[in-house]
Amino acid sequence: MILTGPEIETGVANGKIIIRPFRKRQLAPNSYDFRLGNRCCIYTQKILDAAKRNKTRTFTIPKGGLILKPNRIYLMNTEETMGSEHYVPIIRGRSSVGRLGIFIDITADLIDLGSINQWTLQLHAVHPVRVYPGMSIGQVTFWRTRGPRVLYSGKYRYHRSPVPSLAYQHDYE
Amino acid sequence: MILTGPAIQSAVKRGDILLEPFDESDLNPNSYNYHLGNSLLVLGSGGKALRKVSLSSRGHVLKPGRVYLGATLERIGSDRYVTLLLGRSSIGRLGIFLNVTADLGHLGSCSHWTLELTVVQRVRVYPHMKIGQVSFWLTNENSSHRYIGRYHRDSQPVGNRDHAITRMRQ
Repeated sequence: MILTGPEIETGVANGKIIIRPFRKRQLAPNSYDFRLGNRCCIYTQKILDAAKRNKTRTFTIPKGGLILKPNRIYLMNTEETMGSEHYVPIIRGRSSVGRLGIFIDITADLIDLGSINQWTLQLHAVHPVRVYPGMSIGQVTFWRTRGPRVLYSGKYRYHRSPVPSLAYQHDYE
Repeated sequence: MILTGPAIQSAVKRGDILLEPFDESDLNPNSYNYHLGNSLLVLGSGGKALRKVSLSSRGHVLKPGRVYLGATLERIGSDRYVTLLLGRSSIGRLGIFLNVTADLGHLGSCSHWTLELTVVQRVRVYPHMKIGQVSFWLTNENSSHRYIGRYHRDSQPVGNRDHAITRMRQ
């Protein structure tokens, strides 16, 4: 079952959901609108390798925005720190952003319980399009769980978002 | 409601979820990791299979603008819970899509799932790498419909079998 907007607000008030900063006007009927942060990480090598550390460059997006190009993946942080130890978050783009041809995640929309952080968005544009720090970019929904809860203790926990792929760590044993 | 990792493990033990082979270390807080199989089908225009690539330990570089069909190493499914298929964030961060807006499994569909891989940038992938996750969702009780469809017993990457599309063209 999915939480309604008022239930999300209650969850934030009683500490079961973390959304920082929380602005009530960003509540939707069954989700919360989150914003794009101002840091961006891109890969600087031509062929990526899932088993190796890939070279990257991280920079700050100016207020005037950044043009996303179709042939690249852009890793960017959410402005908000978000997560929950009680409800499973699932993220998606806003329909206004999808209508511009912007993906905000690449088949990785499910967040682990206990992963409380600025999340790393995986931006990909179908055609060139300019995005701006602080723009309303996506929605997070929260889902009730069945079963005992264990919390995320994985490799992205202590990094500052956006974090490039750490698939090369432990995924090839 | 979504099953937590411990609930997925209990359901595997009870036989309500098929994950074969099953390894406890692949449990996440609310999903289970699956691995890439040993081969890929490279699709050309019209969805026609151009060739089959056997993945060696050196891996294979996927290129943008193509669809590659892969399969999960695991047999995955459930008669009781609805399965949703997704990628891992580590893989999404490399620009690898695992499916093309077709993430919802049918109740009762138990097979090696076909993955629809597309990439944003060129990227090397390897056989048996951890590539995605499945989540399991409760339904209303007493669901009596089970999937016995055209992809029911797949064990290899399988191309499109939607003859309805052919009919639409005629």
